Amino acid sequence: MISVIQRMDKTLIICLLSLSTLGLFVLYAAVHDGDITIFQKQAVFWCLGLVGFIGICFLPLRLMGLLAWPVYLIALLSLALVPLIGDVHMGARRWLDLGVVAFQPSEMMKWALMLILAHWFASREPNTWANFLVPLMMTIVPAALIVIQPDLGTTLVLLFAAVAMLIVSGFAWRWILAAIASSPIILYILWHNMHSYQKQRVLTFLDPQSDPLGAGYHVIQSSIAIGSGGFWGKGYLEGTQGRLHFLPEQHTDFIFAILAEEGGLIAVTLLLIIYGILISRMLTIAAHAHSRFGALLTTGIASIFMLYAFINIGMVSGILPVVGVPLPFISYGGSALLTMLGALAIVMRVAIESKGNIPWQRPSSPLS
Amino acid sequence: MFSQLNIRHRFEGRMWFFQVSIFILLLILLFRMVNLQFLQHDGLMLQAEKNRLNVVPVLPTRGTITDRFGIGLAVNHISYRLTMIPERVENMDTMMTQLTAIMQWTPNQIKHINKRIERSRKDRPVLLSDKLTWQKVAPLSARLHRFPGLDVQAGTHRFYPYKELTSHLIGYLSLARNRDLERGYLRSEYIGRSGLERSFEKRLHGSLGSQQEEVDAHGRRIAVLQQTPSSMGEDIQLSLNVDLQKAAAKVMGKRTGAVVVMDVHSGEVLTLLSTPGIDTNQFTLGLEQKQWNAWLNDKQRPLLNRTTQAAYPPASTWKLVSSFAGLRQKAPLANRSTQCEGFIQLADRKMRCWKRTGHQKINMHDAIMHSCDVYFYELGDQLGMQHLSDEGKLWGFGEVTGIPLPPESRGHLAPSMQRLHNGRERHWYRGETMITAIGQGQTTVTPLQMARFSAAIANGGDILRPHLEAGKAPEIIRHVDVKPKHLKRIQESMYAVANKVGGTAFYHLRHSAWKIAGKTGTAQVISMSQNDDAEKSKTPEIDSHKDHAWFMGYAPYENPKVAFAIFVEHGGHGGSAAGPIAKAMVEVLAAQEAKE
Repeated sequence: MISVIQRMDKTLIICLLSLSTLGLFVLYAAVHDGDITIFQKQAVFWCLGLVGFIGICFLPLRLMGLLAWPVYLIALLSLALVPLIGDVHMGARRWLDLGVVAFQPSEMMKWALMLILAHWFASREPNTWANFLVPLMMTIVPAALIVIQPDLGTTLVLLFAAVAMLIVSGFAWRWILAAIASSPIILYILWHNMHSYQKQRVLTFLDPQSDPLGAGYHVIQSSIAIGSGGFWGKGYLEGTQGRLHFLPEQHTDFIFAILAEEGGLIAVTLLLIIYGILISRMLTIAAHAHSRFGALLTTGIASIFMLYAFINIGMVSGILPVVGVPLPFISYGGSALLTMLGALAIVMRVAIESKGNIPWQRPSSPLS
Repeated sequence: MFSQLNIRHRFEGRMWFFQVSIFILLLILLFRMVNLQFLQHDGLMLQAEKNRLNVVPVLPTRGTITDRFGIGLAVNHISYRLTMIPERVENMDTMMTQLTAIMQWTPNQIKHINKRIERSRKDRPVLLSDKLTWQKVAPLSARLHRFPGLDVQAGTHRFYPYKELTSHLIGYLSLARNRDLERGYLRSEYIGRSGLERSFEKRLHGSLGSQQEEVDAHGRRIAVLQQTPSSMGEDIQLSLNVDLQKAAAKVMGKRTGAVVVMDVHSGEVLTLLSTPGIDTNQFTLGLEQKQWNAWLNDKQRPLLNRTTQAAYPPASTWKLVSSFAGLRQKAPLANRSTQCEGFIQLADRKMRCWKRTGHQKINMHDAIMHSCDVYFYELGDQLGMQHLSDEGKLWGFGEVTGIPLPPESRGHLAPSMQRLHNGRERHWYRGETMITAIGQGQTTVTPLQMARFSAAIANGGDILRPHLEAGKAPEIIRHVDVKPKHLKRIQESMYAVANKVGGTAFYHLRHSAWKIAGKTGTAQVISMSQNDDAEKSKTPEIDSHKDHAWFMGYAPYENPKVAFAIFVEHGGHGGSAAGPIAKAMVEVLAAQEAKE
């Protein structure tokens, strides 16, 4: 027990605690004159999540390898059930009601896919057709099921993360480029097999300008919030765009605008540095991982975090289309927070198991 | 096949690729942030402020108009107005449907409201409905939070307690139109359109204030940040004596006409009545086109201000002008008598006196007192057109009086000899000069000009600029150079008209509270052949064939205070139709003076 705690990666711990502090401060600013229970719930989720985090740190990585197939299949099955029995929420069918909790199979699928791809590539050679096509199907089937919900954000994250796994597993660039090039063809086939109402949903999603008071208005308002923050920001709890409700979803997807308005470029830079250190450190852990499975899984998780952060900040600041993805560790949302903490805990476990051991198939320089 | 070491080697290479990718992605985000927060900061800050701040104009309270005793003639009543900022409304159709249900608008009102919204700026408040009572807005007020962009404001609306009695004088307001916006008015403001509301618009209006409010995304006011109060318009106290106006209107009854009373020394107008009037409150209540058309087409022409905008033949009142001309030009007849046989023969025409049997031997004094036509035919003949015209001009006819109630008619002076010789007019007959001398023919005057003429006779020859503001310094436009003994003669004759047996107004004015000096006038409406002995009107039931009645003069005779001109359209004889009005007013004035 003591050795596990001692072997924990200090950099990850510091990044995590910084993000939890920053996240709760920003969330408080977003909801302080509204529904304060949102803040309280998130604080509770953090406590639960950190306990879970430590718990997962004790689980051997081998167990994750064993769980890869069952978890992936459960995720795939529930994803297949969504179009049949799912709940419609804000124009999209994403949720499964399990009686006690409602959960999003697409959320689960992201991590399950990383798990199964890491498991698949860990013991296989790159650059063979069989080892290329099977993971491709493992990715495309759930991606197709998610895009018709429609949930373009998650689909994109899924596809990009899968490409990241291809890259890190050592496929030659021509295979990777082939995989990327094949996606338009796959999308074309998919499009022709969709119902018209599904097409309509995707179209509205892709062209927010068709609803100028909807998504277009939101991006304009969040850009105003960010820009008006300036270098030093307007000061904590002093942002007007958020306080006067010009920002949409200001405690979830658009929470970055609150941070940027009140904290200015200083706070934004701080957040980007924390994300940079966190993800870079995860990649370092991957590079020094004792097992190839751990290395691949860590890289997959790191790329999902990076994609989340980049897509979220990109869409809030108006350089990417508005696809609903949360800002890691900052946005409100219990299940997203818990799964992200869980994923980070797996990375932490990789670090713990690697500490003092040599990286896979390399004679020297253990993770320090 | 790759060796295990090769795979490891490639893996490490790929990890570097990822590290660099992350760095690049974060750098992209940072560039975007620097762009927004540094380069575009000023512009976006401005937009954030524009989002947050709403500058709402605060309408000034319009100044009131009162009469000389402080009785309100144009006052402000508290009411509520419903405004909307169109761009803050989420769904216009649903809101209008719900509002219609609550406010019980008629389809016609909805049409007007929609038109107004269409024409207005989308970021400024548009007036939907006003002059609402609290009972009417209360149900809406409670539910205001459900209608973003909508606002209920307490304000005032204009009310004219005396309605028809002061309609021409006070005028009315209406909402700003497009061309008013260029002059700096707001769409929801009222502007004086006629009468004193128009003439004194600048003073009555006051100046706009503004209020800077913080609003949320739904347009709801969160806080008032800054306030520049509006400054109220000036309250204007008129010289008008509303009791006098009422007394005049009462005697006037349903007849159409005009009554003007003015102070002989200061030029203050005490009464300015034109009948019939209109209820000007209808303008502020939202005048229906139907009502407006009805007023426009009414044969009695209620929109016409008969005191200043209409000119009528002066009839026998003009004999005073002819007398002044005779005295000034030392006409032979001025100091002699003539013989009135009831007519005068001019070539083959008979020019009649109103008294068929004639006045026999008659001088100027008696000719004024009895209003003998023959005497003045001869006097006019001796004077000629030029002198008659010049004299009229001296006493302020043929020019606007300058009272602040535009547009004002100048009336018309019969052409002078100079213009005749220029050949622009047709041939002028001797008989025309003669009938001009008794106030028939081409000459027309406004009742206000006539009242000013009376005042000048009473005050010794000062032609005043009539004005309506209490206590304002008198403005003498010109002093008519008239010999005091001549003035005295005319004054005595005017006294005789009302106070000597046989005077044309004696019967109606003999027991007045103040001694009145004046002159009657009866203007022929139907021009008849001078030889026609037939009845004046073959269809007496048609009012419009009756003569116009005049009575002008001043009182009290010894110490003149007020001068007046009374004109009754189709009233019949001057003494009987217009005289009693003068008497009634003098009684009011005497009673008021006794009270003081």
